[in-house]
This record gives sequence, structure tokens and C-alpha cells, in this order.
Amino acid sequence: MAMKAARGRRSADEEPVDWVAYVFVAFFTIPFLLFNIAPIFFGAYVSFTKWGIFGKPKWVGLQNFRDAFNDEFVGIAFTNTVLYGLVIVPCVVVIGFTFALYVNQRWPLSALARTLFFSPYVVSATVIGLVWVWMLDTQFGLINHYLGYLGIDNVPWLTSTNWSLLGVSIASVWWDLGLAFVLFLAALQDVPRDLYEAAEVDGASRWQRLWLIILPQLRPVISLVVTLQLISTLRIFSQVYVMTNGGPASSSSSVIFYMYNEAIQRQLFGYASAVAMLLFLLIIAITIIHRVAIRER
Amino acid sequence: MAKTMSLSRRQFAKAVGKTALLATAATFPAPFVKGADPITINHWSWLAASDGEIWAQMINSFNDAHKDKGVQIKMEVIPEEQYNTKVLAAAATGNAPDFGWGTAGQRAQWAQDGVIVPLDDVAKQTGLDLADFSEFSLKMARYPKYDNKLFMIPMDLMSLQPEVNIDHVKEAGLDPAAFPQDGATLIEWAKAMTKREGDKVTRSGIMMTGSGVQPTVTWGIVAEQMGFQRASDDLKTAAVNPEAGKAAMQWVLDLFDTHKVSTRDVTDRYKAFGTGQGSVFWTGPWTLNGYVEQKLPFHTYLFPKIGEKQLTYFEMGGMEFYVQPDEARYEASMQAVKWLSDNSFLWTTKGRGASPRTSLLNHPDYKTAGHSWDVRGAFVDGMAIATAGEIPVLAGPNFTIYSGGNFLAKTLEQVWAGQKKIDQAMAEIQEQWQKDLDAG
Repeated sequence: MAMKAARGRRSADEEPVDWVAYVFVAFFTIPFLLFNIAPIFFGAYVSFTKWGIFGKPKWVGLQNFRDAFNDEFVGIAFTNTVLYGLVIVPCVVVIGFTFALYVNQRWPLSALARTLFFSPYVVSATVIGLVWVWMLDTQFGLINHYLGYLGIDNVPWLTSTNWSLLGVSIASVWWDLGLAFVLFLAALQDVPRDLYEAAEVDGASRWQRLWLIILPQLRPVISLVVTLQLISTLRIFSQVYVMTNGGPASSSSSVIFYMYNEAIQRQLFGYASAVAMLLFLLIIAITIIHRVAIRER
Repeated sequence: MAKTMSLSRRQFAKAVGKTALLATAATFPAPFVKGADPITINHWSWLAASDGEIWAQMINSFNDAHKDKGVQIKMEVIPEEQYNTKVLAAAATGNAPDFGWGTAGQRAQWAQDGVIVPLDDVAKQTGLDLADFSEFSLKMARYPKYDNKLFMIPMDLMSLQPEVNIDHVKEAGLDPAAFPQDGATLIEWAKAMTKREGDKVTRSGIMMTGSGVQPTVTWGIVAEQMGFQRASDDLKTAAVNPEAGKAAMQWVLDLFDTHKVSTRDVTDRYKAFGTGQGSVFWTGPWTLNGYVEQKLPFHTYLFPKIGEKQLTYFEMGGMEFYVQPDEARYEASMQAVKWLSDNSFLWTTKGRGASPRTSLLNHPDYKTAGHSWDVRGAFVDGMAIATAGEIPVLAGPNFTIYSGGNFLAKTLEQVWAGQKKIDQAMAEIQEQWQKDLDAG
């Protein structure tokens, strides 16, 4: 009986398996596990410790989280990050959608517009930041120069606590538009022509076609764009780092920027990880709320 | 006809194991064999501007002089903001560079953790003439809380002194030979050189930014001039004479709001001064090469006496040695650093700050080498009044006045932006710093 079982195990062991498929999958899976999943668990562990890279992490329980809740600058960073989301996400969705509608109409210059609308997205965020620092300069910036023709006084886009968040947001919207635009355009081109034709025969106005045909058809893509944009905005860093360095007076600081400072500048990796865990929870919560709110029926 | 590749689990496991072994073996370098090859000393630096070019010349000179002596320095330039993290990560894995640039007084934590090593003994062994270094530089290179050991070989001494656009001075009808010696005259000069459109400053008499390093370090200098101390001499009491600290905050605020000689609208202070958007800019000797190259018409003067005593910010750059698994490397590294220090005439005349070595300062050509004394002199002579340095405790970076993102800068930024009252800011600074001092 025992021999039979052993033979059975051996035969299962010797059964030829087509491993090639696993090898192909492994090229993605192993780096993903090593560089994406493992760091999440390691970060979660580090968030309960005091650690500065050198030496062993020292377990401190919930102390880092307590410190984070008592840290005024953490509160400012989280508030700013949510504000970035409230400014950037709607702007990207609305403007991206409008641009896609324009190009989809195949009006004159729409081919050129397609390239122009997408091109900022291929440039790195750092370059975008540097360009916009120059564009938004209070005294010599192009934006203030043209606003001057309208009789508008110089706006301190990046040097005032009231404006810096908006200044960074403008650059971010300009950068992020490209992806939203492409996704919306692809979705618009997938809307069946016969729906438009039927609506036209029924005498629907342009507005009714937009509201009753296009938007319902685009619901899944809108949901995708909002989710992607939310996650991207909650992780905003490069523009903040390059354009304002979080200032003035932390008015444009974001959570990732704050984490960077605590971890890389001050080597408080445990504390920075605790803040990262809080952001992780925030992103999950917002994503769930969003999915529930825009769930496809 | 295509064949399907079939392997049993066992064969697959064996293949994976062999591949992993081969990959691991290829990753590890061949063992270091002493004497067989020239010794390569690994040096990391964050100097990346014009001072970095001069430092690279220093390293090249060393390598040329030691071509046939079996030792070479391999320098790697690391971005400044990543430097500390990279050194720590390298040290944690036993791969730290042999030596690198550090700023005196900021490494108490590293000294405690053993990331940097004490250098008294190895300096003695290699015959580095410590008696030739200024007493103050050696004092700053030690950590009183760690047996007062030497953790750095000083390379250059820096201070913050006012660089002044001479065209603006002349345009305002002022005498370049009579730069202000006190706070009141300084404000008069600044007012005369400031340009405004309506109520808005378009050219700052005193170059400031609304946040970041410039207002923080200005506060730090003025506060200490007014009698404030970040820590008592015995490092036990924080924020001695807080009223002076508050008065200095008000002095900075007045530049923007009362005297209107500065604007918060400047983002890049170096660029702004270089393009004539500011008249008086207190900064360090690291700016000299750049401004001289671009032919900016400027002179440098001693920091005026705004408070009760004339003093300014002090910073010392030097070589720190990182922990090595093979302790024999310290001596070879010290030999290299000794050569660099002995031959630092170029570095301390054209590279960056003033020399900490008496023999170089007394060199007959010291004042004539490098940039003209009009622009360089204050950075050498001014070391006599540069006393506002680092606080050598574990949380030293929290006390640094030359910072745009530490606890101090973030707290003060709220004052400059009108979001926090001066009293409240000082109370918070005092509380945090006291905790920091108590922590050791």
C-alpha cells in the first residue's frame, strides 16, 4: 500500500509539465514580487521600527504612527495632497474629454491637435516642472506677461502660500492631460456610429447626444481615468520637488514629498514608512469609495 | 515541426538551481589581492558645480603624482541630496567608500552608529601635521559627546559674507569703499538700491527668498548677533535668550514688510543675484567661480554688525572616513587625504573656502592666487567672525541655520508667510530643540 502511494507520488512528480509558460510569466512575476510586493511588506514592517538604514531596525510599536498624527506638517501634507486631487483630477478629466471630443470631430487641424495634446505626456515630470517654473515666474514669467495685457497684476504663482498649490497644479494638469485625452479619444472612436445616426434621425441635439449617448458609453473609461488620475495625483512628487520644494511654508508640500524629506534627507525611514502606510490606506479608501460611487450598473 | 519542451519538476528545479548559482557567482567580484594590483581608494563627493571641477583637478593631480606608486583615487560624484542615504546603504552592506566630503558638526549620529571612524590615531601614524591646522577647525571637527575624537580632516573653511553688485552701488550714488558696518546703514544702502513698481519690489536691495535657506540663515546670523544661542556651551539648554531670537525674526520680516527692501517673489536666489535682481546677497565662497566667470560686477565685504556682536555663519568642509571591513584601508586613505591636505593650495584659493592650515595661509602667494581679493578677501579675512556653526548633537541637522527644509526652516517659513506668530514659533523651536539636546 505504502509502495503504491510512493509510486503514485513519483509518477505525479515525473509527469511532464510545460514549464515554458511559467518561465515567460516569471520574467514579469519575479521582479514584480521582488520590487513591488516585497517592499510593501518590508515598508509595513519598517513603519513599526526606528531605522536609519545602518544597523538593525529597532521595534517601536505604534510610536511612528502616533508621531505622524501629532505632526503638524503631516497634516499639512495630507491636506495639500487631497487639495491637489480636488484640483487636478476634475481638470484633467474635463479638459482631456473636451480635447478628445474636438479631435474626434475631425475638424480642421485635429490631426495636429492630437499630437499637441498628447506630447506633454511624453516629457518627464522634472522637465515639465523646470519649464513651468520659468513660465510661472512672478516677474519674468510668460503667464504673468500675457495676463498683464488683460490688466491683471503679477500673480505670485510659486512664491505665495495662497497660489503655490495652484501653480503646481497647472503644470500637473498640463502634463497629465495627454493620457486622459488618448484614453477618451480611443473610447469615443469605439462608440458605434449607428447610435449617432439613430439619435440624429430622432432629432437629438448635440447636447442631447453628448449627454444621452456619449457619456453613458464612456462611463467605464471615465471611471478608469478618474481612478488612474486619483492615484497619480495622490503620489504627486516631481513637480513639487522641482517647482517649489514644498514651499513656501509647506503650502505646496505633498505626502510623498514629505516622506522623501523624512526618509532621504533625515534618514527617518521608520517614520517615513508610517506616513507611507497612511497614504496607502488613504489611496485604498478613496479608490473603494470611487469604485462604489461610479460602479457600472 | 515545432517541438514542445518538456521537463520534469526535478529537472526544472535542477536547471533553476544551477542558473541561480552561476548568476550569484558572477555577481561577486574577484577577491582583493593586496600587492598584486594598485590600491584603489574610493572617494565619494557631492561637489558638482565649478568647485567640483577644481576638486576633480585635485584628485587628478594626486593620481598623476602617484601613477607609479601603486595607489590611485577613484572619485564618484553623488548628487548631494542622495549622498547621505547612499553612504549609509553602502556602509550597511560593507561597501562604503573609503572617504568622502562631510560638513563638520552634522555627523554626531554617524559617529554614534560607527558609520564614520575616529581619525586621531591614524592621522598620527601617517604623520599628518595637525599642529598646522587652526585650533578652531580641529575643535569643529571633533564631537565633544564622543570622547572629543576627531572625525574629520578639515579641508576648507567657509563663511557667509555679503556679495554686493557694484553697478547698483554706483547707480545709487553710494561709495563702494564704504560698505555699511552696522544694521541701520545697511538698511539705508538697501533702500537706496531697491527698485519698486508701485508698492512691489522688482529689484531687492537685500536679496531674499520667501522661504528656504536665505531667510533661515539670515535669521540665524542676526539672532546670534543679537545675543541668541541655539544651545548653551555645555549643550544642555536650548534657545538661550529667546527674546533676541524673536527680535531677529522681526528684523527679517521688516526687510519684506516694513523697509520693503526684499521680495518674497524670488525662487532661485543664485540666479536672481546673477541676473541683477538683487543688490546685496549674503552667500558663501562656492558662488565665486560662477559669478566671476559670468563677469558679474561685484565685491564682497564683511558681514555688518547688526546686533551686539559682529559674527556670521560658519561651515567647514572636510574628509570623513567611512567604516571599512578591512581596517588596513584607513591608513592608505589617510595617506591620500594627507597629500590632498598638504597640497590644498589650489583648492583653498580657487576651489572654495579658506584654508584651515596656517602654512598655506602664510604662503606669500595666498592672497594673490585665485580670484581678486575684492571678491575673495572677505571669505578669508571673514573667518575671524564666522562662529555660528553646527551644534554637534545627534539631532544636529535640526539646529542647522543653513537649511531650507529642516525643522527650523519649516517653522520659520510659517512666520515669514504670516501663518505663525513669532512668540509661538519661538516656543515651538525652544521645545523641539530642548528635546533634541536631551536626546544627546
